[in-house]
Amino acid sequence: MTTEASTPSLSPEDRAYLRSLAPATPSPYHRLNPLTKAIVATVSTLAAFVLGGYVAPAAILVLLVLPGAIAARVTARLVRVALLISLPISISVALVSVFTRAGTTVLFTIGPFDATLEGVDFAAQVIVRLFVLAMALGLFGLTTEPRAFVVDLERRGLSPKIAFAAAATLETIPLMIERALAIQAAQRARGLDTEGSLATRIRGVMPLVGPVILSSLTEVEERSLALEVRAFGKPGRRDLLWTLPDDARQRILRWALVAAFVALTIGRVAGLVPALP
Amino acid sequence: MSSAWLRVGVAAVVAIVVLVVGLAMFGSFDTTANPDTGLVAGSNSFMLVLAIALLVGFLAYALLEYLQTRRLDSITRQFDTRTIVLMPIAIAINIVLGQTVGTALKIPLYLDSIGTILVGALAGPIPGALTGLLANLIWTFVLAGTPFGSPYAWPYAIVAAEIGLLAGVFGYYGFFRSRPNTAIPQLAGGLAVAALILFGLVFYGVLPFYAKGFTFFGDTSGVDQFFVVIAYAIAIGLVLALAALAIQLFVKRDLGVAFIVVGGAICGVISALISAPISAFVFGGVTGSGADILVAAFQQAGSSLIEAVFQQGLLQDPIDKTIEFIVAFLLLQTLSRRFTARFPQGERAVGVISA
Repeated sequence: MTTEASTPSLSPEDRAYLRSLAPATPSPYHRLNPLTKAIVATVSTLAAFVLGGYVAPAAILVLLVLPGAIAARVTARLVRVALLISLPISISVALVSVFTRAGTTVLFTIGPFDATLEGVDFAAQVIVRLFVLAMALGLFGLTTEPRAFVVDLERRGLSPKIAFAAAATLETIPLMIERALAIQAAQRARGLDTEGSLATRIRGVMPLVGPVILSSLTEVEERSLALEVRAFGKPGRRDLLWTLPDDARQRILRWALVAAFVALTIGRVAGLVPALP
Repeated sequence: MSSAWLRVGVAAVVAIVVLVVGLAMFGSFDTTANPDTGLVAGSNSFMLVLAIALLVGFLAYALLEYLQTRRLDSITRQFDTRTIVLMPIAIAINIVLGQTVGTALKIPLYLDSIGTILVGALAGPIPGALTGLLANLIWTFVLAGTPFGSPYAWPYAIVAAEIGLLAGVFGYYGFFRSRPNTAIPQLAGGLAVAALILFGLVFYGVLPFYAKGFTFFGDTSGVDQFFVVIAYAIAIGLVLALAALAIQLFVKRDLGVAFIVVGGAICGVISALISAPISAFVFGGVTGSGADILVAAFQQAGSSLIEAVFQQGLLQDPIDKTIEFIVAFLLLQTLSRRFTARFPQGERAVGVISA
C-alpha cells in the first residue's frame, strides 16, 4: 500500500527493494497512517489519566482501543502482551498502596500491615489506568512498523537527523546484544565463569558491560565517516522515496481527537466535566 | 544576531508568562513554610510549573527560530554527524542497561541514563537533553512492538532531558575531567568544598522532606522496628559510600572524583524533585524498580503518598545518578583522547588537568 514518489529513474532492483521495505498490511487498521494510530494511542492514555476513576478508562478502552484491536485481529495477543507488561508494575502498585495507605475501613491485616478499602480503591484505579496505557500503546506497537512511523514523521517535517537517530536505535539494540553475546563467549573461552549461583552470574556480568559499551562507542567513528561520505550532513530538504498513504478522513479524525482531548482537559480542570466514579 | 536575542527574549517572556499563569491556576500558592515539614507548602506544584514553563519557553524559542528562518540552525549546529551517530548508541545503552538493571534484576537503581550523560558531556547540553527526551519517547513509541519497548517510559522523558541538560552543563565546566596527582592541600580543600556542597544539598534539598514522620536518627519510638532497621541500613550504606569516595580521592589523588560526585548528587536531587510528582500522579508512587519497597515503608511510617515518593526519590536518585556519573566518568577516561576530542564539547569536557 505504499506509494513511491515520482522517481522514474529508479531501476527495477531499486523498486523491488523499496517494496520490500513496505510493512505487511494484513488489515485496514494496519493500513491506517502511523500518525493516526499514534494519536489514538496518545490521546487514549492521556485522557485515561486526566479523567481518572474506573468508568472513563473503561469507556476509552471499549471505544478507542478495542475496536482497533478487533479490526486488526490482534485482540488476544494484545491482551496477553498488555497483561504481561502491566503485571510487574501492578504488583508494585498493589504492594505500595493496598497495605500502607491510611484509611478508616480495614479489610484484613498481614503482620504490621493493614489493608484498607481506600488503599484497594486507589491501587485499583491506578492499575486500571496503567492497563489502558499498556493496551493503547501495545495496539500501536503491534499494528505499526516502527520504520514506517519514523519515515512518516520525517515526511511531516521531522529533522532527518533525528529520524536517523530514532531509526538507528532499532538496529543498534539487537547489534549490541549480539556483541554482548560474542564478548561473553570470548570471556568464557578465556576461563570466566558465567554460570552457576546468582553471585557468580553477577560477577560474570561485570567484565561484559565495559567492553560492550566501549566497543559500541568506538564504532561511532566508522559509522559517521560512512555517513559523511554519503552527504548525511548536507543541509536542505531530502526527497523521500517512500511515502505512506494518508487521507482527509484520517486528518479530520486526528484533529477531532486532539480537540476532544483538549476540551476534556479544560473542562476537567475548570470543573465543567464531573469526576466519574 | 539581533534575531537571536529576540528569540531568547521571547522565550524568557513566554516562560515567565507560563510560570505566572501556572501558579495562578494552582490558585492558593502558599508561601508560608509548613510547620510540620519545614517546606514551603506549594513547592511541589511550583517545581512542576517551573519545569513546564522552561519547556514551553524552549519550544517558543525553537518555534520563533523556525518562523524566522524556516529551520533550527542555532540548535542543530550542535548536532554534527558524529553526535547524531552517537545518539542511537547512547539510547541503546540507556535502554539495554535500564531494562536489565531496573526492570529485570529489581536492583533499586535505574542506571538508564549513562548514554544520556555521555552525550551531554561530549556534545553539549542541548544534544544531551534531546538524547534523554528521545530515549524515553523511542523506548515507548518506536520500540513499542519489540521486546524492549516499555509503555511506562514516556512520562519520565522530561526527567531524562533534565539529566542530559545538566550533564552537558557540567561537561562544559569541566566536571568530567580527570585531575590526577592533585597536591594534598588542594585535595583536602577540594574535598572540604565538596563535602560542604553535599551537606548544603542534603540540608536544603533533602532533609526538609524528612522533617516530619520519619527521621534517621530522631525520635523513632513511634515507628515500627522494621523501618528503623531499614533506615540504619541505608544510613550505613551512605556513610560507606562517602568513605569509599574519600579513600578513592586520597589513593588516586584524583580531585575529579569530587567534581563527579557533587555533579551527580545535584543532578539526582533535581531529578527526584521533578520525577516524584510524575511517579505519584501517573503510577501511584511506584516505578516498577526495587525501590518501591521504600515508598511503602515511608507511607507506613506516616507520610502521605506524595511525601513518601519524594522521600524515596531523594534517597534513590542522588545515589543512582552519582553512580551513573561515576560510570560515565570512568568510560570517558577510558576512551581515547582522539575519539572524545572530535565531539563538539569533547575537548572541554574530558581531558586531563594535572597539578
